[in-house]
Amino acid sequence: MEHAYLGVDVGSISTKGVIIDKENNILASQYIWTQGDPIGAVKELVGLLEKQFDKANYEIVATGTTGSARKLVGAILGATMVKNEITAHAVGTTAFYPDVRTILEIGGQDSKIILVENGVAVDYAMNTLCAAGTGAFLSSQAKRLGIEVEDIGDYALRSTHPTQIAARCTVFAESDLVHKIQMGHPREDIIAGVCNAVAANYLNNVGKGKKILSPVVFQGGVSKNKGVVAAFERTLGCPVIVDPNGHLMGALGAAILARKGSGRKTFDFNLVNMDFRTREAGCGGCPNQCEIICVYRGDELIDSWGNRCERGANLR
Amino acid sequence: MAEAKTRSVSFPRYAEYNCAFQYIVEQALGCKYVMPPPLTKRTMELGAKYSPDFVCTPFKTMLGNMIEALEAGADTLLMTHGLCRLGYYGELLEQILRDLGYQFEFINLSEYDMSKKKEYLRIVRRFNPKVNPARFLARFLEGVRMVEYLDEITALYYQNCGFDAMDGAYRRSYQDFLTAMYTAQSRSDIEAGYRTVRRAFSSTRLDKPQRPLRVGIVGEFYTVMDGFSNLELEQKLADMGVEVHRWMNVTNQFLRYGSGQKNLRVKIRDLCQYDMGPTSTANIWYARECAERGFDGIVHVKSAACTPEIDVMPVLQNIGADYKIPVLYLTYDAQTSDVGLMTRLEAFYDMIHMRKKVL
Repeated sequence: MEHAYLGVDVGSISTKGVIIDKENNILASQYIWTQGDPIGAVKELVGLLEKQFDKANYEIVATGTTGSARKLVGAILGATMVKNEITAHAVGTTAFYPDVRTILEIGGQDSKIILVENGVAVDYAMNTLCAAGTGAFLSSQAKRLGIEVEDIGDYALRSTHPTQIAARCTVFAESDLVHKIQMGHPREDIIAGVCNAVAANYLNNVGKGKKILSPVVFQGGVSKNKGVVAAFERTLGCPVIVDPNGHLMGALGAAILARKGSGRKTFDFNLVNMDFRTREAGCGGCPNQCEIICVYRGDELIDSWGNRCERGANLR
Repeated sequence: MAEAKTRSVSFPRYAEYNCAFQYIVEQALGCKYVMPPPLTKRTMELGAKYSPDFVCTPFKTMLGNMIEALEAGADTLLMTHGLCRLGYYGELLEQILRDLGYQFEFINLSEYDMSKKKEYLRIVRRFNPKVNPARFLARFLEGVRMVEYLDEITALYYQNCGFDAMDGAYRRSYQDFLTAMYTAQSRSDIEAGYRTVRRAFSSTRLDKPQRPLRVGIVGEFYTVMDGFSNLELEQKLADMGVEVHRWMNVTNQFLRYGSGQKNLRVKIRDLCQYDMGPTSTANIWYARECAERGFDGIVHVKSAACTPEIDVMPVLQNIGADYKIPVLYLTYDAQTSDVGLMTRLEAFYDMIHMRKKVL
């Protein structure tokens, strides 16, 4: 029986999972939409992974979770490693591209840049307070233009004269875009303009003051958009690598971190049949009114968090 | 003639300095001090509700806490002057509170010429016309001494509490010290509290590696020091096992260097030629100091739309590139959830931790 490791990345928009062996080979992988229900998405994900997984020869001995729902999902899966998505992406990417210098990442709600030297992250930045130019913006604009978000790239590549679209702020970009549509700009040019705006916005905000050195790896959901990739290549003046498994890098990083970590716990696929629910309990100890999240498996409380001080701990 | 009513004075919560405000108001000025309630989500909600949208977060916190102080019975509010927009905040705060219908007296230091010694006496007399200036000065200096002790102990605390090997003893000693300062009535109370905590700190066993991770914190005067406003940034970093160093505090900024900071300005002449705001010179100087002393990272803290600190950022980027030291930029607004902060801090910790192993 060989050891295998599960990594799960639950983001705002999509939920990703991989199972790897000890040489980082992917044994099973899956990408589904979160649809505002991280618990349901993870149960579905585990079910889909189980079908691809060779249970006769492998056994999952450690589990890692990452992404914005890492804590919740970590409690449900009994994870041995719960890591933030920045570290997970850096670890995942450097495992496959040891000589990478810059990692660009644009997800559904956040975007980040990680600078790497000698295989170790040396600096990073992440968008604060504002989610301009992320996947959520692209999807809403695709909807406005009546096309599928997956097709944006092909449309953009057909354009020869991309429309100028204000890139500073999503709200302004949107009104600029509506204006340009009503002026009669062709759809291809508008879409190419949106892609350029996403790249420019990213480099002006997240990438500000960072020295972007080649090799550059681009990942996250938006990296599947050929229009944005082309915009980055044009602006940066260097090739931009998009790994076919780029969308799984966070999950891969989580699995690798779980493998390297000391925690070991055999993973049980029966999870799909269990009943999980969360409850929010307000603490009335002081005017902070901390919202404490309690996670139950059946009727058993398995974890809780959200309290700022010890007073809230008594509520559990 | 009837005895003039004793004032009930308040100043908003600001890090842990309120113990010194209380001491000075009660012991030196002979007024009553109304301790405003600790900053909570309610403070922020009140402040944000009545503030103009684009003021910085400290304004919202102070406004909210002033309302809470008035609710708690204060009749006199004190507001400081300042070298950035803070200088105008007093006027604006007073107007908003008056529009809300509160009755109070507002003592705004921006209305005085703080470069003239005579003005100080005028301010003191406004609080209490019967104050004996010599006695006031003596007790005022005791309050200043309290601030110095507070800053010294707080700095020690954040440098060491992450390595406590005795199950929170370090933290408890610090809390006891704060309690002692909040209840001090005399100089000997202050001195005794200080001696006790020094003894307790030195007798607590620390489990510190030979080369611990060291992080320097720089940033905007209010947010960088106030634990509620920066979502306990320093405690969170320390709890990960990091030595947290912060130069910026009242002692270093006002008592040791005065407002001129001449020597600091000379030291950073090659990086920037003039002051860009109240704390920019000190922050740039200290960031480079951290880099030269071989720290593992720098965290820059500001509230959203703090213009002076935005101006500091390009200089910090240069320092980061020159000395190869990572700089984490944090912007705070009226949010009270720390999930996003934890993601960034954990990643920052992982990065400097892995980096240290390789370099």
